[in-house]
Amino acid sequence: MNFKQNKFATDSLLKIFFLKALKINWLIVFCTIFLGIIGVGALYSAAGGSWDPWAKKHLIRFLSGLILMFIIIFLPTKLFYKFSFLFFITCLIFLIFVKFFGVGNIQRWISFGVINFQPSELMKLGLILVLAKYFDNLSRIQLDKLFPYIIPFILIFLPGFIVISQPDLGTGLTIILLGLAILFYVGISLKFVLFCFFVLICSIPLIWQQLYEYQKNRILVFLNPEIDSLGSGYQIIQSKIAIGSGGTFGKGYLLGSQSRLNYLPEKHTDFIFTLISEEFGFIGSMSIILIFSVLIISIFKVSFKIESFFSKILVFGIGFLFFLYLTLNIGMVCGLLPVVGAPLPLISYGGTSLFTVLIAIGIVLNINLRENRI
Amino acid sequence: MKHKSQKLLEQTLSRRFIFLSLLKGVVIGSISWRLFDLQMIENQKYEKLSDDNQFNYHIIPPERGRILDRQMRLLAGNMDGFSLVLIWNKEQDVDQIIRRISNVIKINKRDIKNFYVQLKNKRNNFPQEILITKNLSQKDVSKLAVRNIEFPEIRFSMSKKRVYPQGIIAGHITGYTGAFSKLDKIHGETATFSGINIGKRGLEKFFDTQLRGKFGRKRNEVTSRGHIVDSQVYEDTKPGKDIQTSLDMRLQAFALERLEKGNYDLISVQNYKIKEQLKNKHDLTLANDKYVYIDKNRKVVYPQTGSIIVMDIENGEILCCVSSPGFNPNIFSNDLDLDQWTKIKNNSKAPLLNRSMSGVYPPGSTIKMAVALAGLESGIIDYKTKFFCEGFKEFGTSNFHCWAKNGHGNLNLMQAIEQSCDVYFYEMGTKIGIDRIALMMKKLGLGEIYDIEIDDSSKGVVPNIEWKLKRDGINWTLGETLNASIGQGYILTTPLQLVTMTSRIANGKYSISPTLIKTHSNKSFKNLNINQEHLKFVRRSMEEVIVGEKGTAKNYKIGTKNIEMAGKTGTVQVVRISELEREKGLIKNEDRPWKKRDHALFVGYAPVSKPKYAISVVVEHGGSGSTVAAPIARDIFKNLFRL
Repeated sequence: MNFKQNKFATDSLLKIFFLKALKINWLIVFCTIFLGIIGVGALYSAAGGSWDPWAKKHLIRFLSGLILMFIIIFLPTKLFYKFSFLFFITCLIFLIFVKFFGVGNIQRWISFGVINFQPSELMKLGLILVLAKYFDNLSRIQLDKLFPYIIPFILIFLPGFIVISQPDLGTGLTIILLGLAILFYVGISLKFVLFCFFVLICSIPLIWQQLYEYQKNRILVFLNPEIDSLGSGYQIIQSKIAIGSGGTFGKGYLLGSQSRLNYLPEKHTDFIFTLISEEFGFIGSMSIILIFSVLIISIFKVSFKIESFFSKILVFGIGFLFFLYLTLNIGMVCGLLPVVGAPLPLISYGGTSLFTVLIAIGIVLNINLRENRI
Repeated sequence: MKHKSQKLLEQTLSRRFIFLSLLKGVVIGSISWRLFDLQMIENQKYEKLSDDNQFNYHIIPPERGRILDRQMRLLAGNMDGFSLVLIWNKEQDVDQIIRRISNVIKINKRDIKNFYVQLKNKRNNFPQEILITKNLSQKDVSKLAVRNIEFPEIRFSMSKKRVYPQGIIAGHITGYTGAFSKLDKIHGETATFSGINIGKRGLEKFFDTQLRGKFGRKRNEVTSRGHIVDSQVYEDTKPGKDIQTSLDMRLQAFALERLEKGNYDLISVQNYKIKEQLKNKHDLTLANDKYVYIDKNRKVVYPQTGSIIVMDIENGEILCCVSSPGFNPNIFSNDLDLDQWTKIKNNSKAPLLNRSMSGVYPPGSTIKMAVALAGLESGIIDYKTKFFCEGFKEFGTSNFHCWAKNGHGNLNLMQAIEQSCDVYFYEMGTKIGIDRIALMMKKLGLGEIYDIEIDDSSKGVVPNIEWKLKRDGINWTLGETLNASIGQGYILTTPLQLVTMTSRIANGKYSISPTLIKTHSNKSFKNLNINQEHLKFVRRSMEEVIVGEKGTAKNYKIGTKNIEMAGKTGTVQVVRISELEREKGLIKNEDRPWKKRDHALFVGYAPVSKPKYAISVVVEHGGSGSTVAAPIARDIFKNLFRL
């Protein structure tokens, strides 16, 4: 036995690695890679058929992010549990730091020499981790009561409001919605949810007063883009024109006139979906939604199968984060939601969100791998 | 073994999981529907909007066709014009730039005003080109081009400008072009090009579509910031066709000067006495502004006004069609300003009126051939019928006078035409009746609008019993027939109708109608349907007017062996002469105020041996047909036959 065990133990690391690798959820990996490649292609087109300034950088970031993702897959799951609170606190400190020493007139970025990053993106992951750990520590019975939810509320709204005050309404709302969805998932009383909903509706005027002028404008313009067709409504109008003019099959790769002639605002970041819709039409935009749906469903499937409460909440949170990214972004570009600033994961240009997403997928794959073994 | 609460938790978890999944499904479903709606259902609307974003259409005007005379001399052509354009952007201090440009060249105030209007009405704040002026001379261009470095923000562009090298001479015929304001009616897109002209008058208007050619379109691909990325010709232009008119500019120029001169003398404006007089003369329109006309008392007079038309009697081609005073169509090409326009419009001599075709005059004695033909054709009179003229015809309570106070005595038809005896025609008119006379007049082309290439012709009036009844509701009286028989009263004709009438008499076979276009093939005309013998007789009588001993125009023979003209004079009374005035003795024509003087008319043809050209001369308030109009006609024929 011993010998056998030893033999097994000394069985080449390579073999263990391959055995493990086989068990990775390759569907998620393929979806991720596929979306990343689409992102590179779209950015190549956004620059008018050029690798510079976005496509090349995006590719490099994506590849390094993938390596990071594979490293995370083979880390012990315990690590996430151990460091979750630390990660959250670090993110929070960074957020507060950014609030006072941020780069640029809108304080979103933190600068480490050559690397600039947005702590608010990482905060999304931090929040999921800390909530998962918190609920995992609670006894099952406590979950039925209201009292234990007070701390999570603080954990959600503190970073949420800091981010909104940066000001970054899109990311802030994502954080809050994400947190609330997790609370709802773990079983917060339905009566309380309805009560909160009621309070929220009543406090809308109060919230409205707290909003910045540009945020108010965005919402007003969302309600009627024609108010300011050359100003803030311009983005929505031009974006709708680009999507609508794509038709069924689109104008062809690199042939989107709206993007090529710079009618599209922010075509390389938040409005990248518009470019794809214009060049590849309805078929193209539905394909993107389909791939994302496959990815999200796969993640939820992982979450559904897992026994460990911590992992379950963690994976669920990540899945829901993807869903929020997708709906906020596409809803915004096709005029269903106000322009709040939400990137399309893996496709939009922007390092922090790309790394956040790849780390998150790494965590999902990691948990999937461990749980499979059990 | 699982705890009870554990089970409960799992239950909640899966319930909430399913609920959230459903929610997500609904959200993604609605986003998909939104995309379907935008891309599949409303696709066409957005495609159009995208196109509007992407492309900017510009009209490319074709080069307008030329108008030429029968010898291919240029009546209307195109000249290169230079426009000055400002490449505008937000940061510019426009006022300062304009001031600096104004220091170098002179820009007229209207252009500057227009420029500011354009600046105010521009659609967006993207850099764009704004027209400053279209009237840049070659000199201005070189002045500015030298200082190119000082003015990086301006650009020159070439455009075509319509020119009429003959100036005032054929202004009424060529007409002019003007800016077309509602271009979007011609083309679907809103045009951003403002330099398109269309014909507004004369041949320019009539042949506008042929002359204009086909507009092309240029399609610019523009970025959101207004930069032009790509520019291509979307539709080709087709230059307009040239129009060759039947006019002979040499004759036209001569005729205009001859008409203006009348029986006056030419004198240079440099003469200091003349300069003094010129200060008080307004509305003076001259073909040549270096000379003015003076009468026998050495007083500056207005040039004669009226019309001369020369027509080929075989094919109806008009060789010369002069209306004086005229206007210079070139002033319309230079963006006519309001001052100039009101000056022309309010000129008491109405230079814009094309007297040849739109002016109506009583034909006076020139109608007598038609009356004679009506009499002969009806058989009521023949060549030998004689009437006695004692200077007037008593009719009812009033007397109808002959122009010769003492009468012509006993004369036959040919003598009556030769001497233009009014009494003879009164007698004859009463016998034939107005309806027969009117019928003959219509046959000879009076009271008719021809298919001529200028739109605003007058119809004139050929009165008959029915016409009077319809117009006034009163019966025709015999006295009115007497007036009509000598071309007075209701009857009104245009100079063009008079020359057409003469052409038909001279041609004898066909109902010639006039045209301004050189015909290269033989046009077929309807038969005139008048007895050849009668026509020959009338033509003989018209010869007698010139060569006869007592002919009214016997002093103005051409006087060569081969070529002589035939014709008929006419002196048209403009105001009624009362019995009292007649007894006092007539006031001489020259002593009456201009407006009350007689019109002098002459119609004729030449050569007598083989008629080729017909002429009509109308000199408004010029005096007698025999002393003013006949010599003009003779000189025109002399010039025409190069004698």
